Amino acid sequence: MKVQYVAPFAEAAINVCQMVLGTTPERGQLAARPQLFTSEQVNIVCGIVGNVEGLVLYGLSGSTALRIASAMVGQKMVIFDQLAASAIAELGNMISGNSASLLAQQGIKCDITPPTLIRGTKVKISTLDIPALVVPLKLGDLGSLEVNISLQERQHHNGLAA
Amino acid sequence: MSKRILVADDALFMRATLKAILTGNGFEVVGEATNGQEAVELYQSLKPDGVTMDITMPVMDGISAVAKIKEIDPNARIMMVSAMGQKDMVLQAIQAGARDFLIKPFQPDNVVEKVNNLIAA
Ligand SMILES: [Mg+2]
Repeated sequence: MKVQYVAPFAEAAINVCQMVLGTTPERGQLAARPQLFTSEQVNIVCGIVGNVEGLVLYGLSGSTALRIASAMVGQKMVIFDQLAASAIAELGNMISGNSASLLAQQGIKCDITPPTLIRGTKVKISTLDIPALVVPLKLGDLGSLEVNISLQERQHHNGLAA
Repeated sequence: MSKRILVADDALFMRATLKAILTGNGFEVVGEATNGQEAVELYQSLKPDGVTMDITMPVMDGISAVAKIKEIDPNARIMMVSAMGQKDMVLQAIQAGARDFLIKPFQPDNVVEKVNNLIAA
């Protein structure tokens, strides 16, 4: 897992949050984990396929997810319903998509898969032994968002999904 | 008569956002597709004046859907609304037959401007 892959995701997350939430995230200390693992309640997982492949997971607490969904929808939401879930999933999709554009500028071509929302703490997402790098972002009053990046250079040269 | 738009995006939130922007600016959202396959089917049954098309969707992605719709109707007016804005992706979409490309996240004004251009051209 190259540190080089982290910057595009951090930059994209900051840009997208600024535009969508009107908050400039404050980046915390980069951390490493041996595997992709989450201890957050609400998690969005996006697959990355192409010159680099793997998963990116965006983790949030339940209350932060509700506050972010409320900000995105433009009305206070008290239950994490389908609309709230899809807002959070789309936030992950937008960060991943913008990251893919930034990776392309480095000559790394990749595509993203639709986001999957996983609820529940202490979830080990992948059985692959790709270490994860974690970028914590503080979103002011909204709470914090953890970006977990677990990517490796493409191993097989067959069956690249469109 | 208001122009009839088909919105294709797998995210309910994004469909609701685009629908609110478009209906608030005099357009009629006649259909909502949750994937590329549905977009092709709804295009055939609804014959909309314009389509906003996401790329990253399950079942069938937006670029494949554009190509399918253009086979059915070479005059279809489709613009992409996608989080992926890298040159390759834009090029693929234009080659498939999309007329314009809007990157997410977007400003509501840009949606209105681009959809106006799409249906005016
Ligand atoms: Mg999508």
